[in-house]
Amino acid sequence: MSYRILVGEGSCGIAAGAAKVYDALRPLLADSSVTLGVTGCIGMCWLEPIVDIYEDDTLKKRLVRVSADHAAQIAAACRNNTLDALSALEITEEDSAFLTRQTRIALRNCGIIDPNSMESAVKAGAYEAIGRILRKDGGMRPEAVIDCIKTSGLAGRGGAGFPTWFKWNAARQSAGEEKYLICNADEGDPGAFMDRAVIESDPHTLIEGMLIGAYAIGAKEAIVYVRAEYPLAIKRLEAAIAQAEAAGYIGEHILGSDFSCSFRIKAGAGAFVCGEETALIESLEGQRGMPRLKPPFPAAAGYWRKPSNINNVETYANVAWIINNGGEAYAALGTPDSKGTKVFALTGKIRRGGLVEIPMGMTLRQVIFEIGGGIRDGKQFKAVQMGGPSGGCIPESLLDTVIDYKKLGATGAIMGSGGMVVMDESTCMVSMAKFFLDFTAKESCGKCVHCRIGTKRMQEILGRIVEGNGKTGDIELLEELCAAIKDGALCGLGQTAPNPVLTAIRYFRDEFEAHIEEKRCPSLACGALLRYRIHADQCKGCTLCAKRCPVGAITGTVKSAHCIDAEICIRCGQCHTVCKFAAVEVY
Amino acid sequence: MNQIQLTINGIPCRCEAGVSILEAARQNGIEIPNLCNDASVRVYGACGLCAVEVTDDGNGKPIPKLLRACSAKAMDGYVVSFDTERVNQSRKIALELLMSDHTGDCVGPCKLNCPAGTNCQGYLKKIAAGDYHGAVRIIKEKLPLPAAIGRVCPHPCESNCRRALVEQPLSIAYLKAFAADKDLADAPYRAECKPDTGKRIAIVGGGPAGLTAGYFLRQKGHRVTILDAAAKMGGMLRYGIPAYRLPKAVLDREIEEIAALGIEMKNGVRLGKDITLSELRREYDAVILAVGAWSSMGMRCKGEELSGVIGGIGFLHDISSGEGEAPDLRGKNIAVCGGGNTAMDACRTAIRCGAENVYVIYRRTRDEMPADALEIEESIEEGVTYKFLTNPAEIIGENGHVSKIRLQVMALGEPDASGRRAPVPVDGKFEELDVDLVIMAIGQKLDAQGLDGVELTAKGTIAADTATYLTNLPDVYAIGDATNRGADIAIAAIGEANRCAEVVHSALSGSLTPYRAPFVSKRENVSADEFKDRVKQARCEMPTRAPEVRRHDFDEVNLGLTDEIAQKEAGRCLECGCHDYEDCKLIRYANRQEIHPERLAGLKNSHPTERKLVCIERNNEKCILCALCVRVCEEQAKKGILGLVGRGFPTAVRPEFRDPSVIAGCKDCRKCTDVCPTGALKFIEQA
Repeated sequence: MSYRILVGEGSCGIAAGAAKVYDALRPLLADSSVTLGVTGCIGMCWLEPIVDIYEDDTLKKRLVRVSADHAAQIAAACRNNTLDALSALEITEEDSAFLTRQTRIALRNCGIIDPNSMESAVKAGAYEAIGRILRKDGGMRPEAVIDCIKTSGLAGRGGAGFPTWFKWNAARQSAGEEKYLICNADEGDPGAFMDRAVIESDPHTLIEGMLIGAYAIGAKEAIVYVRAEYPLAIKRLEAAIAQAEAAGYIGEHILGSDFSCSFRIKAGAGAFVCGEETALIESLEGQRGMPRLKPPFPAAAGYWRKPSNINNVETYANVAWIINNGGEAYAALGTPDSKGTKVFALTGKIRRGGLVEIPMGMTLRQVIFEIGGGIRDGKQFKAVQMGGPSGGCIPESLLDTVIDYKKLGATGAIMGSGGMVVMDESTCMVSMAKFFLDFTAKESCGKCVHCRIGTKRMQEILGRIVEGNGKTGDIELLEELCAAIKDGALCGLGQTAPNPVLTAIRYFRDEFEAHIEEKRCPSLACGALLRYRIHADQCKGCTLCAKRCPVGAITGTVKSAHCIDAEICIRCGQCHTVCKFAAVEVY
Repeated sequence: MNQIQLTINGIPCRCEAGVSILEAARQNGIEIPNLCNDASVRVYGACGLCAVEVTDDGNGKPIPKLLRACSAKAMDGYVVSFDTERVNQSRKIALELLMSDHTGDCVGPCKLNCPAGTNCQGYLKKIAAGDYHGAVRIIKEKLPLPAAIGRVCPHPCESNCRRALVEQPLSIAYLKAFAADKDLADAPYRAECKPDTGKRIAIVGGGPAGLTAGYFLRQKGHRVTILDAAAKMGGMLRYGIPAYRLPKAVLDREIEEIAALGIEMKNGVRLGKDITLSELRREYDAVILAVGAWSSMGMRCKGEELSGVIGGIGFLHDISSGEGEAPDLRGKNIAVCGGGNTAMDACRTAIRCGAENVYVIYRRTRDEMPADALEIEESIEEGVTYKFLTNPAEIIGENGHVSKIRLQVMALGEPDASGRRAPVPVDGKFEELDVDLVIMAIGQKLDAQGLDGVELTAKGTIAADTATYLTNLPDVYAIGDATNRGADIAIAAIGEANRCAEVVHSALSGSLTPYRAPFVSKRENVSADEFKDRVKQARCEMPTRAPEVRRHDFDEVNLGLTDEIAQKEAGRCLECGCHDYEDCKLIRYANRQEIHPERLAGLKNSHPTERKLVCIERNNEKCILCALCVRVCEEQAKKGILGLVGRGFPTAVRPEFRDPSVIAGCKDCRKCTDVCPTGALKFIEQA
């Protein structure tokens, strides 16, 4: 009996202590037949660090929330073949359901293979598709590849949802010998991390998808534009490119064919707008990251004004699977409008947060409650923010909305890159809207008037509303600005920036009105609008609050009810926090 | 090349295939608003002003998104509009947003505060350069009576002059009179008139308002007739203002200049007596009432009906006109009641008529007097006695003629609605003066004779719309002292007349366009700190005749400025108004439609003005980030000295990569200043 132990070392696992677990295990297994390795991210953030124990290729045990202290116990169990001794660390059945409800295509190898090992990737099927395409007899012509992608119905997973085959075909049809294939790995939406997970966990899948794309459009150079904030992804991708090059998958005459393609990585300096394809191209060229006017689209005049195709990581991660399994197999998943699967990064006030890949057509309720386990800490669901700063919030009443580009779009939110931030009753929707506006205003490149000044003004108006200085008419002014910015901004960043505000107003207008007209935050989240009082019948006179109050606003003697002077109170909330008798009420 | 056809704002256009909609419009003589486009550099698409809506893409379908005309190609069969509600709203918001982060003075506070909007900065610059005809040409764009007004105007321009933050305001009014005198003396500037339109306009009243309205309407090509009840034209300028301030010969010359445009002037015609309003309406295409306010208000005090109690306006009129009996006041005691400019004219005139004692009765103190401070000063020099904090309680007569005036002593109480401390009677405290004549100068009102069918306000003035100047009668306009709030200073009436002329012209041209105050950008809270490096230069003094000499006659008190003094004085101007105001595309578009940037007020970027490039001054607070300077420097000058730095709202144009050393590459080619659509870049001529 020989076991193989895999420690999940995505960035998130490492942050939770996975590397320490690995380091602790290594000496303990040095002289044993038990092998120790790493894998990428399985996507169960709330359980990290995760250690998987395989026997041959069969997962025997998945251990969760492992620390270095558990290393001896794990090593002993593997050495002694007493895996049952680890049941206390084992994932529960309920938590396992997180994975069993998923259909994984883009994430198919994530958390399973060793991202540092080409051998591990190839064993899982990497480069089969490109091999099939480039086969001397019975290979696929570029047109056939594009046709296959067309059949699959694959659409851009970065946010816009534009049909992938159409862009490939346009780039292929554009005149010129010099063409470029670019991967957008500038994943910038707050709360989205699926692209990082793919690169960190399965870099060869991305490389293969890009190779197929390059072959289809006729590009000889492939470039991955990845944000510099993803150092581990860059490191693993660099290694994978070197491995693939050594194995003849990258370079001149790949697999002996006429197809040649080089690869390189460009680390982006962390401007959100560089996720916009034309700003990304400007940045690649060494220019300031500012969007270009479209048309011309990159397929006609992109990098160095040459025909270029840009897709994001998740899109490319589907490509090899589609070639291997056929476009029809992919199209069999999903809805009439949206085919295949989509990866979501489920975060926020959710019990089980992480990466979720599901077929299109599932409802939001299924994802949040069945896969995600609902709201944590016994609170009530309020809304889910889809699509990050370009998206919008969706209220409880629309939770049965089916995940599909059109249906989500109809709510005012968008599919986006797959950020799914769940909010509970304690989230103030005005503050939430302001949070996203703060983000877009800060990340605006400053080029066009509507975005540069318009988002700033919206941010200021939202700021005064949460501060209790909102004016009657501010909602209408916001709506007017939103409409004008959507119409007038130059690029997608500006055109979609109003969405979080528009949806918040659409579904939670009463919260805006309460802030403006009553100077009240119904979610008790806006500090400037909170008031505190002590209920005399519950106060035991312990004096703790009075001692903690930084401004001496609380008076009272031992064993008698205390009282807050609202004139002096600075609304810091310390009294509420320290009271052991729940006598301090926030209202 | 392949020709295509499209319509832009309903106008059929032809252009070569492949050009942008903006270019297609340009080739067909249509200007689509734009700020960041220039043919010499690549399209950029930042300003958003060129947004257009395509309601038909040539196949009967609308394009859902607004297009930027600078980048979208013109296509055969396109139906393009840039005046739809959606486009107008988009452009309006863009302009409001731009203006909400634009800090600068389009015009200086002098022009801004002139009720007629006279371009003081413009003509001061001409005067400083010795170009007096040029100065008068600028003045007469707004005001046809500069020699007169320069002498008598209470000059709100000077009250707001920013040079006061250095030491003292410029002597703007006297400089205007100086330039006008110079101009009149030798080949005076005369405006051109447009070809005859065939439209006829009657103006009732030949005062400053009527003369101004006629002056501008005549230039538009209309036939103008000015009717006046008095023997000569000039109104209050002639009959209300004494000759020692405004010599009649000066006024005559300026009126001659106005008449020389081809305006018919009829004197001795009184409305309601010699001609009726309905006759005028029948005969003319439009009638403008500029009849003035010629009756003095009473004081509602006992004894007002006695002989020897007269109105200030009537007193001044009789002396100026020589009509009626010019009073011989030698050895007499005169009380003038009131604290305004009419009171000043009356008291100083009384002195000149030989009065022994002239008292000015004013219920507050000198600080609260509405009259010009200089006039108070000069009247005291001439021997006028002020009775501050007194109010007429009763005029006491003997045999039906005034003999004494009983004055209630007052004290200053709490500030009233006007912000001035309200005078309150001191219980039981009175004073008496022996007087032979009491002149009431506390206000004027309209004599509504002949205004049949014209609606009046509760105050008894003509009710005129403040944007169209129309009365209740569809072809009858009214301006000046006779209307709404009543009497005001002459320059206010002139401003109204100028604006009214535009409205009347628009109405006679087919579509009445109400007056809309132009939008201007202005800076708030300008402090003296900003000017601390300026060398102090005292305001020029107007030389005057000695009080003991001038009090005996009606010759002009002021002796006038010399060329040297005038040019030096005009050179003190700080040039607060933007150098680019006339050419600024931003302000031009901002005034094409009504905008209200104040509703989007928020943080403004603040930057110090930089003079780093050798000959170019950069004011980033006026910059709209069109990046034309950055692009032209890179693409045309091939220097790449300027770059954009920062992100989001604080983005700014700076030396590329924030590296000051790149500036050394600037060779003053001026390409950047030439393309800048606002006043953010200024070329400084080197001495």
